[in-house]
Amino acid sequence: MLQPYQFIVAALSLVMIGFGVERYLRGGKGQTPLKLAVRLIVWGGMFAITIFPQLTYDLATLLGIEGNVNAVMMIAFLLVFLLIFKMLSVIERIEHQVTLLTRAEALEKFEQHDQRRKE
Amino acid sequence: MSSVVIVLPAYNEATVIASVIESIQLQGFTNIVVVDDGSTDGTGAIATPTGVHVVTHKLNRGKGAATKTGIEVAQRLQADIIVTLDADGQHLASDIPAVIQPLLSGACDVVLGTRQWHSHDIPRYKVIHNFLGNAATWLIHHQWVADSQSGFRAYSRHAAKLMDTQADFYDYDSEVIREIRVKGLRWEQVPIRVRYTTYATTKPARQNVVSGLKTAAKMLWRNIS
Repeated sequence: MLQPYQFIVAALSLVMIGFGVERYLRGGKGQTPLKLAVRLIVWGGMFAITIFPQLTYDLATLLGIEGNVNAVMMIAFLLVFLLIFKMLSVIERIEHQVTLLTRAEALEKFEQHDQRRKE
Repeated sequence: MSSVVIVLPAYNEATVIASVIESIQLQGFTNIVVVDDGSTDGTGAIATPTGVHVVTHKLNRGKGAATKTGIEVAQRLQADIIVTLDADGQHLASDIPAVIQPLLSGACDVVLGTRQWHSHDIPRYKVIHNFLGNAATWLIHHQWVADSQSGFRAYSRHAAKLMDTQADFYDYDSEVIREIRVKGLRWEQVPIRVRYTTYATTKPARQNVVSGLKTAAKMLWRNIS
């Protein structure tokens, strides 16, 4: 017998998967197969564990961890770590792009000023 | 006669920038590029009337980014030798002739100005900070130097052209060491004097142990990400 929270989490997971698949099929900006796969794994995993709680025991056995909650927590930590890693990479890339733009603009202005000075 | 261009990356150095420029000009080096790295205290406006080239970053992008912009400008000015110095007045312009001498004689491609750590004028935390910087540089870039964080350096035109760095902040200094090793450039270390004035040791943007650890973490991050 499913509990109310299971309905809510399962519905939310399906909506999130639906959004992701729809965006990917529409060819939305920044939609890659990897992003879709991560979304399917995260929300699909959430859906599966909610509907079939027994899976957490199987997961714990598979990972050799005592206790199903520990197994879920460990995987959640791993996912959060991966997300932070990804976010830091994106921030680093954006920071570098801002620097490139700032430097290019400064050099262009210098070039114009130098040209005017020579004339 | 080789053309020497001095590059000064400057961020909020309005208090000292004019005197730093004057001290360099008094040594006979008149081709100076000041990179105003998004200063909010009018550093660029103070430097302009002194007859130097002023290049302005609209945003503060860090010492590495400012130094790279300055080197780029120096290359456009057809520099044979490019010297970088800190703009806070800690370096002595009178050391420039000794620093560029190995380049003038063709003995090497890059000169690293090296602070004398046994000097009593250098604060203890600076010595520790530099040792950590040297260790991090050696671990990540596999090259030991006596002063990996020194901003007083000189490059030949050839070396400046070959340098390919990504770092925008203080980690730039260590990336230069990596480039020297990877590109097989000839390098020398030349002793330099420093004066740690109250101004240089108390300004908010100075390097300290915490920022040094952040720099080391950035260097590591760039290698694993």
